[in-house]
Amino acid sequence: MSLRHVPFRLPALLLFFVLLVLAPLASAHKASDSYLILEVNGREVSGQWDIALRDIDFALGLDVDGNGEITWGELRARQPDIDAWALGRLGLQRGGACRIRVADHLVDTHTDGAYAVLQLSGECPRADAELSISYRLLFELDALHRGLLRLTLDGSSHSAVLAPDRAEQRFVAGESSRLAQFGQYLVEGIWHIWIGFDHILFLLALLLPAVLVHENGGWRGVARFRDALHEVLWVVTAFTVAHSITLSLAALGLIQLPSRLVESAIAASVVLAAANNLKPLVEGRRWLVAFAFGLIHGFGFASVLAELGLPQQALVLSLLGFNLGVEVGQLAIVAVFLPLAYALRNTGFYRRGVFIGGSLATLTIALVWLLERAFDLKLTGG
Amino acid sequence: MTCLKLTSFIHFRFLPLLLAAGVALLALTAPAAPRKPSDDSEVLERLPTRAGDASARELLALRAAMAAAANDPLPAARLAQRYFELAMARGDPRYVGYAEAVIAGFPEPLPPELLSIRGMLRQYRHGFQAALDDFAAALARNPQLAQAHAWRAAIFLVQANYAAAQQECAALQALGKTILQASCRGLALAYGGQLAAGYGALQQALASSRDPDNRLWLLTRLGEVAAWRGQSKRAEEHYREALSIGRDDGYLLAAWSDFLLDSGRPAEVLRELADWESSDTLLLRLAEAAALENAPDAARLAQTLDDRFAAARQRGDTTHRAEEARYALHLRKDPASAVRLAAENYAVQREPRDARILLEAAIAAGDPAAAQPARDWLRDSGFEDQRLRELGQKSAPGPAQAASRAGAPR
Repeated sequence: MSLRHVPFRLPALLLFFVLLVLAPLASAHKASDSYLILEVNGREVSGQWDIALRDIDFALGLDVDGNGEITWGELRARQPDIDAWALGRLGLQRGGACRIRVADHLVDTHTDGAYAVLQLSGECPRADAELSISYRLLFELDALHRGLLRLTLDGSSHSAVLAPDRAEQRFVAGESSRLAQFGQYLVEGIWHIWIGFDHILFLLALLLPAVLVHENGGWRGVARFRDALHEVLWVVTAFTVAHSITLSLAALGLIQLPSRLVESAIAASVVLAAANNLKPLVEGRRWLVAFAFGLIHGFGFASVLAELGLPQQALVLSLLGFNLGVEVGQLAIVAVFLPLAYALRNTGFYRRGVFIGGSLATLTIALVWLLERAFDLKLTGG
Repeated sequence: MTCLKLTSFIHFRFLPLLLAAGVALLALTAPAAPRKPSDDSEVLERLPTRAGDASARELLALRAAMAAAANDPLPAARLAQRYFELAMARGDPRYVGYAEAVIAGFPEPLPPELLSIRGMLRQYRHGFQAALDDFAAALARNPQLAQAHAWRAAIFLVQANYAAAQQECAALQALGKTILQASCRGLALAYGGQLAAGYGALQQALASSRDPDNRLWLLTRLGEVAAWRGQSKRAEEHYREALSIGRDDGYLLAAWSDFLLDSGRPAEVLRELADWESSDTLLLRLAEAAALENAPDAARLAQTLDDRFAAARQRGDTTHRAEEARYALHLRKDPASAVRLAAENYAVQREPRDARILLEAAIAAGDPAAAQPARDWLRDSGFEDQRLRELGQKSAPGPAQAASRAGAPR
């Protein structure tokens, strides 16, 4: 059952994470930690603070009926007290004290049991000063308590352990090295193409016919690997150039398109690319298709980047990192796809199963997306 | 042929992508981890004590006594001591943090009672030098504090400084603490290579001890010494008598489980430790036994343990390296990590079990040099456990290796 030995990185890690979250966790004994995740962008603060119910009970007494069990009702009844207690022990300063409030209350589980999750939001007086965090939660009751901080400050990541002798810590945006930041956005870019199905499907739909030649109303395999490689290079380069242009324009705020339009157009691009495999209209100039629709996909990447937030002081570098990451992710897909497709190009499995079947499946999925996005429907679960 | 090979290779490389796709789908459709319960009666957490429990009432009374006499160190010392005992019994480090906070609330300089307890808490976190200093400071203010001598002896034993440990034993003798003195001397002798004499001293201590906690501790150590001497039957009798006292004790359960594992009886470990998953040290034994028995939850137990070690690393806690080394060697089958962890641990703790994991890991990793400190200890102490002596020989570099090492340029 263990997946630890599976020899790949990112996906396996994520799978692990998913299993971890879904698996029922046995309560363990460990020293007390709270998990503080903060994102500070300019004046804006958002975040999440996970505090163990056992610790809250020790500080405030949650088990009102004394049966040794803490219910959601018991926790809910004390939420105002918990907020006041916790926020009174966390101070953020950026050009003066930041005002923090608890936007919502959730629960979660860590290795040692159930946690209250306080979702935080707030604002600071200034957008560009250094950030100082002072943390005093539980220290007067439990000297081994630690606050495990993960901070994103204007796009740069920091982590710290907040302890009684290190209760106040200062952070300067951009203090983590430029290179680290570049690397971080590179990884985000790779990650995004890997989980961005619409982009992968679009690319695959264009690449599927690269190892085939359409002749006399039928398909046959290309004679030489070079031919397939040539086609793939043109398609990928065109796609890359196009989406780099629009990604940069949108990320720098020079062009804005409504996201529903962009998302619908991306779905439409997948529909058309897949349909073209089933009933070829555009041949030989697939790179033009890749370029035209690549412009649209660039806007899609840009919306992800907007969610991540670009650090103002390293805008171009981060943008470049993200873009390169997307390319690396893309190349990884091509590197796997192309030799495989080439090896299988003359088999019925590839022509009927992968090429026709795959294109049909892609067409269907993309049509559903198109309907959903264009008409704001919810056809699939999730 | 080449083509076939290429395809199978690519198939393999393609797998991650497929998996990634599947997982990403799962991740997109699975609910995010934090959630909002819909039912007020949903039980989120079970606390270790209930309000009406004897131990909860006792803690409440101790806390009230401390609050009522803010500047008196004695009620604070009692509460901190009780927290520390709970931490030991249940393997729950939160109580150590509570005890430290009680002491941190007092202004320096601390009275000797609190210094002595702070020393205990510091040794728990492997701050051995700071703990020795606290005990020394406590003794300077109150030379009658036998507990401080006993703890100093225990720390010196962990550091394999047997001469210093013997001095503390002598100090206990001078204070007229015969049972403590005999316990102290018994362990110092056993660790220092005289198992029979050590066993005799511990038995002598047991014969005159009535206190159930002391008896439990002595019987546990007698069980260990008997096992080192190869007297399995006698060791089991000691362990069973200790268990029959009926008190929770993490150290006893760990030693007993190790004995059962060494005797090829993992199924009994599964039964004994079924309710002890919450303690990391016992979870390690449980997971080892489950792996040996091919128990259905073996993978889950190992994963849980892995998560615990990850959580400890995240907060910068390194006190579990000996256990982590065992986990790496026996469960994760990663001798390279095991030998690194065991060597880091051995730089801090040098009890026989620390030497053993270092030797085992070095043998598995084929890294004789890493085990040199443990072999040095075996040679200097003359420790008599047959198993450890054999491991020591097996871990030593062979003649060929030694020759190549000697010939290698430095």
